[in-house]
Amino acid sequence: MKEQLMARTFVELADSLVADFDLIDFLRLLTDRCVDLLDASAAGVLLADPDGVLRVMAASDERVRLLELFQLQNHEGPCLDCFHTGIAVSVHDLRDEATRWPLFTAQAQSGGFTAVQALPMRLRDEVVGALNLFHTAPAPISPAATPFAQALADVATISLLQQRTTERSTLLNEQLQTALTSRVLIEQAKGKLAERRHTDMEQAFTTLRAYARSHNRRISDVARAFIDETEFLPGLSSRSS
Amino acid sequence: MIPGSRSARIQALVAEQAALRGARVGVLDVCTAAVAALPVAGAGMSAMSRGRASHPLCSTDSVSQHLEELQLTLGEGPCVDAYVLGTTVLCPDLLAGELQRQWTVFADAALEAGARAVFAFPLQIGTISPGVLDLYSSSSVELDADEVADAMAFADTATLLLLDARVSETGVTFGTGASGTDEAGPSTSGTDRPDAAPFDDLGAYRAEIDQATGILMVQLGVGFEEAFIRLRAHAYARGIRISVVAADVVAHRLRLPRGTTPSDIQPPDARPPEEEP
Repeated sequence: MKEQLMARTFVELADSLVADFDLIDFLRLLTDRCVDLLDASAAGVLLADPDGVLRVMAASDERVRLLELFQLQNHEGPCLDCFHTGIAVSVHDLRDEATRWPLFTAQAQSGGFTAVQALPMRLRDEVVGALNLFHTAPAPISPAATPFAQALADVATISLLQQRTTERSTLLNEQLQTALTSRVLIEQAKGKLAERRHTDMEQAFTTLRAYARSHNRRISDVARAFIDETEFLPGLSSRSS
Repeated sequence: MIPGSRSARIQALVAEQAALRGARVGVLDVCTAAVAALPVAGAGMSAMSRGRASHPLCSTDSVSQHLEELQLTLGEGPCVDAYVLGTTVLCPDLLAGELQRQWTVFADAALEAGARAVFAFPLQIGTISPGVLDLYSSSSVELDADEVADAMAFADTATLLLLDARVSETGVTFGTGASGTDEAGPSTSGTDRPDAAPFDDLGAYRAEIDQATGILMVQLGVGFEEAFIRLRAHAYARGIRISVVAADVVAHRLRLPRGTTPSDIQPPDARPPEEEP
């Protein structure tokens, strides 16, 4: 039953890691599968930049509130602890951690979440980020699912290494730089598109991704072209221009 | 900013160079601090643009200066590739045959100028990319992962300095009592204001800052770079963090007024004809 679905998911993810794959699209797929398979309500992949700041690379929902909840963990929360210790953090009832993480628990609870997990993204001796899962009351964390969650975090790490940027780009730092820049471009484009169309950030992201997929391009390349208006993107650029 | 973080450490090194010079922090201090901190002989920086002519900004020695000029004249080299590709370009040894094929004219000219290793780091925030930081060594040398990360932090510091110089050009007076002190003109960064964050870096709430910049493009009908500068100027003028201003813009709690910016700071190639939806 569920095991079959998991196996199919890993095959699907492995199949997506083809040459020239789109890291952002891939990580979004991974967070969506976390939600499907692990009975989570929301999932996100956070990477540490060279400054040690955790930055959101992908989320199962791009709306502002959820992104804030991820970013808030640069001050306190399970992702920060997981990133520093390299050990998975599971909190089955957020109410128990109100003194440990007052800001984080308050904001997570106001978003309707009751439980949270952070799984380390480990590369040799280094922790490069974390996979963050949020749960709501009807679907608490299943202990049996934790190894699968860790396996998905490992796949996220592998995908980061897999992206080939330029032939000289061999250092993790450079690959990280490319990944972080992709994400900056996407946030910038989301803001512009959401404002122009009066939509929320999730819809803006989905529109960018749909455009990228149908034109066989990377989301970040579409985002860049959309922001600096170097080319006309049918259906995305201003209709009159 | 995270105290004790890499960017905090790098920014302190840059500020120290400015203090030694007895001047406000500028991009030259980024170059001298990078040379002091990394196993390189010299550093240089060029302002790059697709629409306008690129030009050298500063360099720590004559070899660096020559390398900057060479690349801009020839239109090839690590600096040009770093700008076009938006990624770090590391060349530990220019004698490597592969590189000589890649930059047929530059590689030989650079070797003749006295450089053996060259490293180029793009100054960039998404689509904003005002230039490139170049480092060179007269002997073959590899930068390790830590040194590359430091160099990237020097480049990030330079990016913010260049953009903040443009904030000063908008005539913004900095909040928290520093108003009226930027008569030194647009080449300065305004970083001697007394508040605690001499470089208001991008920090933990990065997504909102980037989204807010995209939103301001539409609301103000300006290009991306100007939208970013307007966001920072608003924060500086009121002495509040840029992440707070960004969150207000994203939540539509704050709208910046249209058209209060001198038109001379608008890059002529970056102004899209926005329409109201």
